[in-house]
Amino acid sequence: MKSYLAQIKAIIWKDVLSELKTKELFGSMFIFSVLSILIFIFSINLSIVNANDVGPGVLWVAFIFSGTLGLNRSFTLEKENGCLQGMMLSPADRTAIYFGKMISNLLFLSAMEALILPVFMIFFNVDIISVLFPLLLVIFLGSIGFCVLGTLLSSLASNLKTREIMLPILLYPLVTPVVIGSVNMTGRLLAGEKLSEMTKWIGLISCFDIVFLAVSIMTIDHILEE
Amino acid sequence: MSEDLDEKGEDSGINWFLWGLTLLACLAMVYAIFIYVPTEKQEGLVQRIMYYHIPSAWLSFFAFFIVFASSILYLWKREREWDIYAQSSAEIGVVFCSLVLITGPIWAKPIWGTWWVWDARLTSTLVLWLIYVSYIMLRLQTGAGSMRARYSAVIGIAGFLNIPIIHFSVLWWRTFHPKPKMITPEGFGSGMDDSMVMTLMVSLGAFTLLYFLLMGQRIRIEKMKDEIDQIKKERLYSH
Amino acid sequence: MGQLGYLFAANAFVWAGILIYVISLMRRNEALRRDLELLKETLEKDSDK
Repeated sequence: MKSYLAQIKAIIWKDVLSELKTKELFGSMFIFSVLSILIFIFSINLSIVNANDVGPGVLWVAFIFSGTLGLNRSFTLEKENGCLQGMMLSPADRTAIYFGKMISNLLFLSAMEALILPVFMIFFNVDIISVLFPLLLVIFLGSIGFCVLGTLLSSLASNLKTREIMLPILLYPLVTPVVIGSVNMTGRLLAGEKLSEMTKWIGLISCFDIVFLAVSIMTIDHILEE
Repeated sequence: MSEDLDEKGEDSGINWFLWGLTLLACLAMVYAIFIYVPTEKQEGLVQRIMYYHIPSAWLSFFAFFIVFASSILYLWKREREWDIYAQSSAEIGVVFCSLVLITGPIWAKPIWGTWWVWDARLTSTLVLWLIYVSYIMLRLQTGAGSMRARYSAVIGIAGFLNIPIIHFSVLWWRTFHPKPKMITPEGFGSGMDDSMVMTLMVSLGAFTLLYFLLMGQRIRIEKMKDEIDQIKKERLYSH
Repeated sequence: MGQLGYLFAANAFVWAGILIYVISLMRRNEALRRDLELLKETLEKDSDK
């Protein structure tokens, strides 16, 4: 058990270290989020639509798009440097590789989300501080769902020639419940509702997280096969 | 699905029986939809589209269940047979799903006034359609072999398990929308005339037979492809 | 488009869709069967030599 956790820790540490050195992934994810928000704001007719109404949606689109960037880069980097083969040759359990990648993806996504939130607060003039804790919970729950399924699918897609377009094509339809739920809850939280009134959505997204974590654990062996 | 080609590659009796039965069922369905069942009072003639729409939805659901089961069986047993079933059922499922997405708007336009409504059924079906199209795209991007089978099996499993989650998320997403007080695409049972239920059953039967007919054909195509590849490989090695 | 028009359109799409798919399956089937026959013949000829 201890060595299993050590394997996971090693993978996470490797990703974090290499990112701290190059900073290429994080920087591009952040800038891409800001650009996504900008593009959407420009595409909306602000005289008709209240910016606050579309805020939550725009926020999550930014998360999803840059999250996808992160997922893509995460496994592409592995492939380019032959790391994936190295990891598979090592006696590491396949599920440890999955957990390691999933947690490091989640870390990067969460860090980027934390930086985007102030930007969101400024652009859309919303008060985040008063709902900070429930909002962070909602964002975290949704991000878990995205990373759980996203890591599985990006390990799959990284072996395809068209990996960068296939990841969104495979991931986005499957991740719609998370998007719907997260946007819904974010919007309602910002409108002043309490988290306790949204238990069914929390249940749904948690269910999603658990189901697809189980699916990933059970199928990762079949994907990371030689 | 048994191999119904005999030695000379001719269609055996079972196949012709299935063809005949399906044809009969389809004729019965058309008769029921156009002649037998009375016109619905509120929606009029257009309501008859439901007798195509609802069974198509059920069949696409059934097809995707077969994809799910076959995918699991493939990952468990690693036999090409299951991969063939998964692939064939996915393709046919997409066909039926497309019919749902086509008949839906054609029904909705005269009834609700717009082509598309973001209601639970249509939206879920759209998401489902996208999932299984992505399944097919994945298969097209990968060459024949265990990688293609394994990868699409994962999507087949994930896609099907997501169905109830997608259904509820879309349903709760739109609950604040007032439902038109007519027979909706969900309409079945309550307030439905017996003849309507009967027609629905006949349609369902006909479409189910159609599913099995199409499966038989599609599976045979894959098996022949495999056989051809096998022979070509043997020739290559014997030379 | 009157009510009948919509009904007709739906029917057209459903039956055209089904027929097109069935026919494409049958054609693929036939083509593969011919290829298989041809391949088997050439295999027999080779083994005869």
